Amino acid sequence: MNWRYSLALLPWCIHAASPDFEKDVAPILEARCLSCHDESSAKGEVRLDTREQLLTSIRLGQPDDSELIKQISGSKPEMPKKAAPLKAHEVAILRQWIASGATWPEQRVLKDNPPRDLKWWSLKPISKRDVKNSSTNPVDDFINAKLAEKGLKPVGEVDSITLIRRLTYDLTGLPPTPDEVEAFAESNSTNTYVATVERLLASPAFGEKWAQHWLDLARYGETHGYDKDKPRPNAWPYRDYVIRSFNEDKSYPQFVQEQIAGDALYPGQPDGILGLGFLAAGPWDYIGHSEVGEGKVDGRIAKHLDRDEMISAVFNVFTSTTVQCAQCHHHKFDPVRMEDYYRLHAVFAAVDRADRVYRGLKPEQEKERTALQGQINGLRAEQTKLQAEAKSELSARTSGIERRLEELRKKHASPLLPQYGYHSSISKKQDEVKWVQVDLGRAQEIEQVRLIPAFDTYNNIGAGFGFPVRYKVEASLDAAFQQGVRLVRDATNQDQSNPRSTDVLIDVGGDDARYIRITATRLAPRKDDYIFALGEVEVSGGENHDNIAKGCAVSSLDSIESGPRWGRSNLTDSIFHRELNDPVALAELRQLEAQKTEIETSLKNPQREARLKILGEQLGKLNSQLKTFPKGEVIYAATTDFTAQGAFKPTAGQPRPIHLLNRGDIRSPRALMHPGMTPLWPGAVAEFALPARAPESSARAELAKAIASAENPLLWRSMVNRLWLWTFSQPLVGTPNDFGRMGMQPTHPELLDYLAARLRDDPQHSLKSIIRLLVTSQAYRRASDHDESNAQIDSNNAYLWRANRRRLTAEEFRDSVLTVSGMMNLERRGGPSFQDFIIEKPQHSPHYEYALHDPEDAASHRRSIYRFVVRSQPQPLLTTLDCADPSQSVPYRDESTTALQALTQWNNRLVEVMSRHFAERLQQAPDVVTQACQLALGRTPTEAEKAALNEHLRTYGSASLARVIFNLNAFVYLD
Amino acid sequence: MAGAASHVDMWDHKPLLSQRDGQPWDPGEKVELFQSTPGACFGCPWAFKPYGRSGKMLSDIVAPLGAVVDDLAFVHNVVGKTGVHSQGTLLQTTGFQLPGFPSAGSWVSYALGSESDNLPSFVVLPDHRGLASNGSKNWANAFLPAQHQGTVIRPGNAEPIADLHAPKSDFISPASDRAGLDLLGRLNRGYAQERPGDDRLQARIRSYELAAAMQLSATDALDVASEPSYIRDMYGLASEGEGVDDTIINTKAETEFFGRKCLVARRLLERGVRFVQIWSGNDNGHPRRNWDSHEDVKRDHEPLSLGMAHGAAALIKDLKQRGMLEDTLILWTTEFGRMPCSQGSKGRDHNPFVFTNWLCGGGIQGGTYGESDEWGFRPQDRANATSVYDVHATVLHQLGIDHTKLTVRYNSIDRRLTDVHGHVLKGMVG
Repeated sequence: MNWRYSLALLPWCIHAASPDFEKDVAPILEARCLSCHDESSAKGEVRLDTREQLLTSIRLGQPDDSELIKQISGSKPEMPKKAAPLKAHEVAILRQWIASGATWPEQRVLKDNPPRDLKWWSLKPISKRDVKNSSTNPVDDFINAKLAEKGLKPVGEVDSITLIRRLTYDLTGLPPTPDEVEAFAESNSTNTYVATVERLLASPAFGEKWAQHWLDLARYGETHGYDKDKPRPNAWPYRDYVIRSFNEDKSYPQFVQEQIAGDALYPGQPDGILGLGFLAAGPWDYIGHSEVGEGKVDGRIAKHLDRDEMISAVFNVFTSTTVQCAQCHHHKFDPVRMEDYYRLHAVFAAVDRADRVYRGLKPEQEKERTALQGQINGLRAEQTKLQAEAKSELSARTSGIERRLEELRKKHASPLLPQYGYHSSISKKQDEVKWVQVDLGRAQEIEQVRLIPAFDTYNNIGAGFGFPVRYKVEASLDAAFQQGVRLVRDATNQDQSNPRSTDVLIDVGGDDARYIRITATRLAPRKDDYIFALGEVEVSGGENHDNIAKGCAVSSLDSIESGPRWGRSNLTDSIFHRELNDPVALAELRQLEAQKTEIETSLKNPQREARLKILGEQLGKLNSQLKTFPKGEVIYAATTDFTAQGAFKPTAGQPRPIHLLNRGDIRSPRALMHPGMTPLWPGAVAEFALPARAPESSARAELAKAIASAENPLLWRSMVNRLWLWTFSQPLVGTPNDFGRMGMQPTHPELLDYLAARLRDDPQHSLKSIIRLLVTSQAYRRASDHDESNAQIDSNNAYLWRANRRRLTAEEFRDSVLTVSGMMNLERRGGPSFQDFIIEKPQHSPHYEYALHDPEDAASHRRSIYRFVVRSQPQPLLTTLDCADPSQSVPYRDESTTALQALTQWNNRLVEVMSRHFAERLQQAPDVVTQACQLALGRTPTEAEKAALNEHLRTYGSASLARVIFNLNAFVYLD
Repeated sequence: MAGAASHVDMWDHKPLLSQRDGQPWDPGEKVELFQSTPGACFGCPWAFKPYGRSGKMLSDIVAPLGAVVDDLAFVHNVVGKTGVHSQGTLLQTTGFQLPGFPSAGSWVSYALGSESDNLPSFVVLPDHRGLASNGSKNWANAFLPAQHQGTVIRPGNAEPIADLHAPKSDFISPASDRAGLDLLGRLNRGYAQERPGDDRLQARIRSYELAAAMQLSATDALDVASEPSYIRDMYGLASEGEGVDDTIINTKAETEFFGRKCLVARRLLERGVRFVQIWSGNDNGHPRRNWDSHEDVKRDHEPLSLGMAHGAAALIKDLKQRGMLEDTLILWTTEFGRMPCSQGSKGRDHNPFVFTNWLCGGGIQGGTYGESDEWGFRPQDRANATSVYDVHATVLHQLGIDHTKLTVRYNSIDRRLTDVHGHVLKGMVG
């Protein structure tokens, strides 16, 4: 139908009154066009949000010549892209409006306003179907019906030896033992199969295998990632929690709730805290949080992105919904509006990622400790602020001076000689009186005394070291200074500023004298004690105005006499430190130093200093109090109370204010948001009704309850699709983390709903019972054989006419190599992770050096699930074999085939070492090749294989044979 | 340049900073810095001189690039989105601030495929002293297939590519290695023959053949010793090789480290590698061996920059004399710039508000495109700054790729290197 035809059909439009902009026109444009043609998107450089912009797409009064109308009409309209065309009456309204002059209220700007369209398969209620044939596995009813519909003939059942290997790997991630294979093959019956399924589901190895699937989704890692990539030593309890939850067959909604709000919904239970490891499992920007902090824009961006990471994880994993797409604009395809997304930010507004206690601390103790911690955090924040204030006030005015000082010192540096000067004994009190005096040998005329301050690098004090705060200088003929004492400098009445590297000159004149005494009446402070030190005393006199003190005897009240630096004789040895060797530079230095001192004095804030002193004392007291509490067992999880680290401070349960951010920009806050979510199914609410003063966790509890409710069709569909994927190596919905319009549709919608309803309606909500159902189906037990006629119709095996051959996952490969070679320690379950790397330079940015690790290290001979997962430097062997990237939620593994994989599997040191151990294990075997194949491939070799392997064994030995076997397709693929 | 290289000390000449050196700095707005509060104006500690026909002003620490300066297209108005190293670095390498996105090299490998069967299409030459912020996330394939991840090569290392050769072992000899691979091939072919219709099985057999070919070609590509001595000298290689003394940061060592990577890069490009990432500067460990000169610009930047400029200039000249510069594009970048004011007395804090990129070769016209303000603090024309997306769009454009069309759907979004942004820098591409 072209537009002329439609026009003829709708003559009333032409004559009707001009459409109302607000009532008729704006809603169409806002609902159907603006998501791509507003200011921020402007796809194809077309905008329809203002009149000026619109005018480039229309001709006033001429709908036929208007590009807008051309684009949205016709038999296959160009626009809207990837959505249903506009309805005929909507097109007619726009035509009419253009024809009548396209009135547009002044200044009006249209905004994207998509309808909340819930008409999508994944959002509809789960349709519950009765199973027709109760004698067969219902899974097969659905699968077979689809096969028949598509004209596909399923291949036959797989042989029992292949089946036991497949089943054992799928349920436990480990190879079956030769005995298990033999026993299973001998009594091949349905009962044996069911019993084997039960044995494997009950084995602790089941949880170890299935937890890996979950940890891939949960983006679990044990370092922060980003800059510095610091380790998280307390992340592993979450991994153990997931393993245990699978092994105990925890009710699925409980599992979900614990991971969003376990603290609120399961108070007092360790699992309620352990589950919160999920929210914290992803990467965390250490620098953005703890060095920059929320006081700065970059820190607020980091915190915003951090919440986005948590929210995305919750919705991608539990509901297969991509809410994160609504950060900058409404979701372009799914009914998620920006408000929905920012309501979720409000839900998580109080939590951060840090260590918290899950066991071993009584609730009242925990409360007390949290309160104490809060107090400490508060005081420390004040301390940091005051210190930073002081520092920045100073540096803003002195950085130029500092640079010049440094330059002068570098250019004219003179070496520090070891004979520093005189140094009194150390005193605990500042007002102790100490003296030192020079004996000139005879009475003579004295012009001037020069005091040269000492210089010591101790504690970075430098120039002026030990120079007294108050002092006096006297001259006398009496060595005991009892008679005829002449006071030539009195600086005892008030504190003197330290002369640093400036000499102190004192004119004497008058009568002759023999002794010069310097008395400190208030000593120079060091960190915790007080001293008196001087670098040199010069006395000028005599005919030539020489230094007549040179080499003269020195006596004192006391002296530390710590040679060669400090001794009485050093005071008159003419050796003293001059900071600079150039007098002009020295003059400049002194001038600059004086300037700096002046600035320092002018900026001194006694109030601030007094406060800092009090803060230091209080913090010391509180910290020692904190140490009296038991530590408890700790997990890295979502929390609101923790020890502050730099600028990273806990909210203590006080949610941060959350605003809707225009275009996702932290600098453009709009309306304040309340906790809520995106109402994706009937009955779901957008904004939570929370009592006033409800604790922060109550918003998360509301969210957890809503997500894990029976009414949420996404929850159940999402999880059974994953179980299907983890069993059949291929999902029913090809995009497990996205059931939205950009995702794929289910191949078997009825089957998906059947399983979803079954999980939902099972009072135990047992995941194991679904897995049991799947692996006992005929579909699961088919051979993986090719069939040309089936392949013509369904080359990807979407309808499961055969089983899917799959490669061992990275972890399965490593675990199998260890197991087959007899080196795997299966009994070391849980606890801190093993590290198959050596950490170098741990202080700052740890280097995780895998190449330095010894593959013989028995501590690392554990299942790969117990591996310490590093983000910045992933394990090279496992990464090359497509293990999950812990930076993001990974719903399924890639299965790539590359030359680097071949190099790794062939040359990796672990493979080499384990080949040798495998050879040792085979030493006693009567038939090395047969036993090797039984252990590694789960079967005996064919005659041809046997001959070829034996030949290699004879020439190159059993270790070389083992290396070949670990690289066989028959080892790395599961039929 | 890991750590953030200082544009105002290298090629964005700001005489005003020297004129006002040590005086209070007032850009007329509140400035929020990463670590510190703004100090005084801090003039570049090195002299600037004009180079080339254009008379482009370069500082003494990039003087070696003066010889090729007319081939360089400077963009002095690049703006970042963050002053945090990890995010800034990811933005440069992947176009996103968060981890989890493919590196630009992975995108190029994905788009253009491999030109050589025997070498990876995307190679990374990291600083041998440690990986920059985010580690291998900077060359991760993320949601692209694994063959597009950057392969780390450590020239000068005993084992330049991990697992390239068999480890030292009492049971592995060249003969057992060969016989083992022969046997493996035979048995794997038998396995595949019994299982028709599964390409993966053939592919895995082929992967072992490729691996063997890679052992030879990678060894050849890394054989820098086979270069004539005038070429080795041109790149500034030291006679001690990577063992050159580095206990105190110095120009000779930095020149050797960077020059060797540049020379290896040329050899890789000649052999069909699509994309090479060369890194200068490690993590933020101590003593500092990267460009994050908070404490002392002179101490770090002089040797790092002279070393970089020497190697980069040699690479450009060498590519040119081999006729390779026309179809080889060089992009010089860093996570952000450094402030016009001082931190402490001799350092500079982060400046994500403006910094410099330059491009060269691959059809790029030399010149200066986009200026910063008189301080080198922000773009001169704030409304028309250059983003990393623009630079990435331009790079892809010169490789014959429309950056809006190179997409992969992941978690329901059609992902691009340039997200939803980016404009080709038209002036520069003629």
